[in-house]
Amino acid sequence: MNLSGILVVAKPEWLPAVVDDLGAMPGIEVHQVEEATGRIVVVQEADDVQAEADGLERIQKLPHVVVAQMVYHYFADDPNIDAFLSDQTDGMSASVPAVLNN
Amino acid sequence: MGLSRRDFLKTSIAASTAASVGMPVAKQAEAAVAAMEKDWEWDKGVCRFCGTGCGLLIARRGDRIVAQKADPDAPVNRGYQCVKGYFNAKIMYGQDRLTQPLLRMKDGKFDKKGKFVPVTWEQAFDEMERQFRRAYAEKGPEGVAMFGSGQWAIAEGYAMNKLFKAGFRSNNIDPNARNCMASAVAAFYSVFGTDEPAGNYDDIEHTDTMILWGANMAEMHTVLWSRIINRRLTAPHVRVVNLTTFRNMSSDGADLEIIFSPGTDLAIQNYIAREIIARNAVNWDFVNKHCVFATGPYDIGYGMRPTDKYAFPAERDIVLKEQRVKLDKYEAIGQRRKEGEVVEQKNTANPAAHWLISFDDFKRALEPYTLDFVAELAKGDPDEPLDQFKNKLRQLVDLYVDPKRKVVSFWTMGFNQHIRGTWVNEQCYMNHLLLGKHSQPGNGAFSLTGQPSACGTAREVGTFSHRLPADRLIPNPAHREYTEKTWKVPAKTINPKPGSFYAKIMRDIEDGSVKWAWVQTNNPWQSHPNINHWLKAARETDCFIVVSDAYPSVSAKVADLVLPAAMHFEKWGMFGNAERRTQCWRQQVPPQGQARADLWQTMEFAKRFKLKDFWGEQTVPGLKAEGFPDGKLPSVLDEAVKMGYSAEDNLYKVLFATPDNLKVRWPDPAVAKGRDNHVVKLLGDGWFPEKALFQEYVVFGRGQAKDLADFDWYYRDDVRGGKWPMTKNDKGEWVEGSWRFNEKYDPFVKKGAGFEFYGKLFKAIPSGNLDGVTDPKPVSVAGKAKIFFRPYAAPVEQPDANYDLWLCTGRVLEHWHTGTMTRRVPELHRSFPAAVLWMHPKDAEARKLKRDDLVWCESRRGKIQLRVETGGRNRMPRGYVYAPFFDEGVLVNKLVNDATCPISKESDYKKWAVKVYKA
Repeated sequence: MNLSGILVVAKPEWLPAVVDDLGAMPGIEVHQVEEATGRIVVVQEADDVQAEADGLERIQKLPHVVVAQMVYHYFADDPNIDAFLSDQTDGMSASVPAVLNN
Repeated sequence: MGLSRRDFLKTSIAASTAASVGMPVAKQAEAAVAAMEKDWEWDKGVCRFCGTGCGLLIARRGDRIVAQKADPDAPVNRGYQCVKGYFNAKIMYGQDRLTQPLLRMKDGKFDKKGKFVPVTWEQAFDEMERQFRRAYAEKGPEGVAMFGSGQWAIAEGYAMNKLFKAGFRSNNIDPNARNCMASAVAAFYSVFGTDEPAGNYDDIEHTDTMILWGANMAEMHTVLWSRIINRRLTAPHVRVVNLTTFRNMSSDGADLEIIFSPGTDLAIQNYIAREIIARNAVNWDFVNKHCVFATGPYDIGYGMRPTDKYAFPAERDIVLKEQRVKLDKYEAIGQRRKEGEVVEQKNTANPAAHWLISFDDFKRALEPYTLDFVAELAKGDPDEPLDQFKNKLRQLVDLYVDPKRKVVSFWTMGFNQHIRGTWVNEQCYMNHLLLGKHSQPGNGAFSLTGQPSACGTAREVGTFSHRLPADRLIPNPAHREYTEKTWKVPAKTINPKPGSFYAKIMRDIEDGSVKWAWVQTNNPWQSHPNINHWLKAARETDCFIVVSDAYPSVSAKVADLVLPAAMHFEKWGMFGNAERRTQCWRQQVPPQGQARADLWQTMEFAKRFKLKDFWGEQTVPGLKAEGFPDGKLPSVLDEAVKMGYSAEDNLYKVLFATPDNLKVRWPDPAVAKGRDNHVVKLLGDGWFPEKALFQEYVVFGRGQAKDLADFDWYYRDDVRGGKWPMTKNDKGEWVEGSWRFNEKYDPFVKKGAGFEFYGKLFKAIPSGNLDGVTDPKPVSVAGKAKIFFRPYAAPVEQPDANYDLWLCTGRVLEHWHTGTMTRRVPELHRSFPAAVLWMHPKDAEARKLKRDDLVWCESRRGKIQLRVETGGRNRMPRGYVYAPFFDEGVLVNKLVNDATCPISKESDYKKWAVKVYKA
């Protein structure tokens, strides 16, 4: 499970439309909206990091979105990192990356 | 509450995100955050990617980093971060992370033609030492070399600089920062006499006008760009101008976009200066009190080799221009000469020479740069009407000269990676100084940097082949003497002959003069121009190449020995960013496998050598300096003995674990706050090297207006770095600097002066006219800045009938330079998997190409395959293509000439000629 906190800034006059668009996106939850400044806090949940990055890009491409920036990244449950760490021993047993000897 | 764990986490993350950007957070949500983070430890850190220097907060649980957020208290990024910054922690966990030393072996022994085999650190250092001794015995101090980095932490760069310059007595150490901002440095020296910007990032909120010169900040300095956009949106009178050679993401946020032809920025700057004078907009009070006028020679070559001996047949015609150049129409007009005239390049040996001229001469030199002349030369989009382009140039001048407007000019690689990079930097100061719009909040010419510690390590520590810490220079006897005393090494230990700059180290390996080279924290065999030469040299000469890296980079692939490096949060470190802000981080987690910090690698290697190995007499061909016999470094061993050393002492003891440094002890709980230090543990002698070396280093800048605070101050919880010069207030507290050279903000300016450009370098110069020196007697220009006249110079290679397109190479938002780290992060890799070639749809059509077609892109120096992109984020004018260099599968920089700005020795990646055809 990959979770990220994203700040979206919409042009204030288009705020309701942007909030609606965000709400309709899979894996996106709108958590907080500040009308005066057009700022929206969303949390994205994605199966893997690829979907997470794609989601951010989709938000950036929504009409009337000025800025969409990742603020918070939670990866305590990232299975790739867990797998990587469990593979590590003292390092001496690792194989030589194939690219170096090709 | 009925919340599932997932809902609970989401509520917490939303609250944390809101808090980071200063939005209100409900009490209940605050409690959720506290519960989620119950067994986490947060710590401050700094991003290890670009030169912006964003503050981060990282959370660890045990030996694993579990979360990261932008630091809301960081004055640089204020709770924002870009997509690269987001992955500072994850880059440690790439699947092909290097975790053990690897040596090319055959039959159990080192063999240049062998395959990489895992070895112990002991075996690795044994071979590294054997090869070092071979190279040093054969070639002396100039036979060994170091490719350093603007991504070195400060103590890492400082230690290697000291090892090379005081230990090995070799100045062949140069950082990749040479290819990033050496032109900026050369201009800081020539104009102000001291390195680094006068302004700081707060200029963005103070100014009314921001002018980007060949700097695509929307992609390359994203967080600063967010601040610019925020300023633009909240203050309607603010204007943003994007001067660029092609339409890019920064154009979307600009009020005015000016597309100019490669290299013609030199002419546009002169047009602006000419207009400032013509419109009577010179701030004479400022100029008379604080500035002088100067110029230098034009016939300075292009930083290429003086011979075509090593040139590929196809590149010979360009390489020969190093000796003589036939002037084209525009260059001839801009230099007041005749078209077709052949000019011998007589000043290649001393390109930085300069002298005072009168204002009348300065004005006369600018005379040819009329709107008609410059517009015809500089218009970069063949499809734009000339009148429209002229109009835009007029508007640009209107913004600069408007007395009610504050103006900041920003630049990075567009100016710096330029065969006249030093000149175009100087020209930018020329216009700000003429207008008196410099060194004030919201007013100034602001040189940005590309790497996290290009300023802090490469420049301030002076890890260049001609520099010593804090604006000191190798050829200056007083600077060497000060350094030797501070380092407690004998007089004349330091070699007075500058070493090889980055491009020259590559050339030295190719021609057999460097036989041993070490690379830390950079990837020269992918990033340096004209790589076909250097790839071949690395594998086919007898140079032994050591690469310390975290991943199997192209440079690791061509190395003989690969040393696994600890990454960012696996070690302690400090960086200095583009606004002179020094920031720090602690080791959060132990290094993977056998990976170890560069600092440990450097000091451990030093243990293998004794003073007698280097401090006896050494031969340095071509050395000529006062007080030295020609071609020799004298023995300093007798003097060393008088100082209490023994010829048998090892370099680790003499240079690093000195009696003073050993007093700086670990553990240091007040600073460490429970964090570990693997370097301390491995050394085993109980000192805290990152702190001791920093405290040793800060002495160099104290009282020099380059003052840094004490190590412990930077590690305080309530500190988010500090901009130098750091000074102490009446209460003894450290206070950071803001705007340099301005009495109101800079305590180093003489009281009553208003402004004082107090840098000390190159402040006594001869006098002359536009043709040369007329009176060689040096005149003091202490306290003043120089307004340079520099002419237009044509790019040394331009499209012709055969190579008919301009090529520019550079970066993209998603990847860090050569992609060694970011291409391990799957989401970054997949969002930008391979390099593409951006081109205009009509250029594609004319070559019967369409989007996504595989093409050959060929220059005089090589050819590569790329996919055509005719849309997307960059819109090329006809006649011009762009390719990013992050993709190790493509090696775009094979196409680029290794010519440099002759003054700064920085390579030009931005204007070469190619042809494109279907693969």
